[in-house]
Amino acid sequence: MNIKEYIESGILEAYVLGALNENERASVEADMAMYPELVAEVEAIELAMQQHAEATAVQPPAFMEGKIWDAIQAQQPEPLPKETNGQAHKVVDFTPPVVQRRTSWQMAAIWAAVAVSVLTNFVLLSQRNKGNTEIALLNTRIDSMKKMESQMLAKATSYDHGMAMLADTGMKTIVMRTAKPGHTMTSMMFWSKTKGDAYLAIHEMPMPPKGMQYQLWVIQDGKPVSMGVISNDLVANAGTMFKVPMTVTGGQAFAISLEKEGGNPTPTDVMVVGAI
Amino acid sequence: MLLKQQSRDAFNSLYANYSGVLYGVIKKVITDDQTAQDVLQEVFVKIWNNIEQYNPGKGRIYTWMINIARNAAIDKLRSKGEIMKGKIHTGEDAVYNVSEGMKTEQMTDTIGLKDAVAELKQDYQVIVNLAYYKGFTMEEIAKTLEIPLGTVKTRMRAALQILREYYNNN
Repeated sequence: MNIKEYIESGILEAYVLGALNENERASVEADMAMYPELVAEVEAIELAMQQHAEATAVQPPAFMEGKIWDAIQAQQPEPLPKETNGQAHKVVDFTPPVVQRRTSWQMAAIWAAVAVSVLTNFVLLSQRNKGNTEIALLNTRIDSMKKMESQMLAKATSYDHGMAMLADTGMKTIVMRTAKPGHTMTSMMFWSKTKGDAYLAIHEMPMPPKGMQYQLWVIQDGKPVSMGVISNDLVANAGTMFKVPMTVTGGQAFAISLEKEGGNPTPTDVMVVGAI
Repeated sequence: MLLKQQSRDAFNSLYANYSGVLYGVIKKVITDDQTAQDVLQEVFVKIWNNIEQYNPGKGRIYTWMINIARNAAIDKLRSKGEIMKGKIHTGEDAVYNVSEGMKTEQMTDTIGLKDAVAELKQDYQVIVNLAYYKGFTMEEIAKTLEIPLGTVKTRMRAALQILREYYNNN
């Protein structure tokens, strides 16, 4: 991957600005896990947006401070309802008493912890000199490296799977291209001639309209044979590889068509097609 | 009670340090004062309740708080129907959304935006506003402004380059 081009593309800005969809975001995070340069760039962009927020601060009206404090106080746990008179309840309850609220020393400890935590943050943060910023950056870096580690583990597992597929010398890649001029649509099939295993990965296809579904076909001796309808989840998660639950022994082409929900015995509206 | 006094002090300090920045962020999303104040309250309560969960290793506390404020404000904006939910379908929506974006700009101008953003080209500003403060995806921005997706990314990059340059030198 060309890091410079990647950074200059603006995708990391789109990431920080929150303008990526879920797939794109996951893909950027996976890339960040591999390339620390990307993490550093994301941090620099975040810092600029933070400085921008500081430079464009707006003081809320003065009454808000008291109002918000009241709201915080108001959500504190309600005091226990008054003990009912013992005489009214002669029946002895054998169920163990349920602890209904934190005892006062627990509350005190929690408040102390909150106060210490909040104050510590302020002390650290109010000294916003360059040194502290660097420490914060390093902390962030360490944290993203931890995240990176778990992402890489996940990636390694999926690579293992991919390796097994690649190691299969009979594996063929078939790119299915659009059958609709003017509409870019692509999907891929990975087909093991030796084993008959077939994997589908939707690459770029629009979501089918309501009540419709995509259906996958293999053309055998000039005749389309259905390999099943494609779950819309798979369309939504473009790039996910899906093992088709059917053994394909041979054929001349794979195709995807748009059909009514549940599929049809023969294809109606072919969207993409790829010769084997 | 001493502890209560301490937590009040902590709150005062939290409020003094961050209310302006957070309110500024919220106001860029929501123009209506009353609604923006409701969101500010919601955001502080949320920060207060979750401050213990804040992990200094996980990014700067500022970014953490700003994102809480931004997300709460965008959620409110959507629930109020000020912008369309989800995707843009019609041209009318698009026009409406552009004017929404413009409104934000005028608003931020009147509240005294610093030179940096005044310098930021209108084209760039609209894109940063739509994404960061209105919760638009790149696709939605491309459709709204009728520009290619690649241009959206390029302009985002250019806008941030200007901001970074400015804040590095000031």
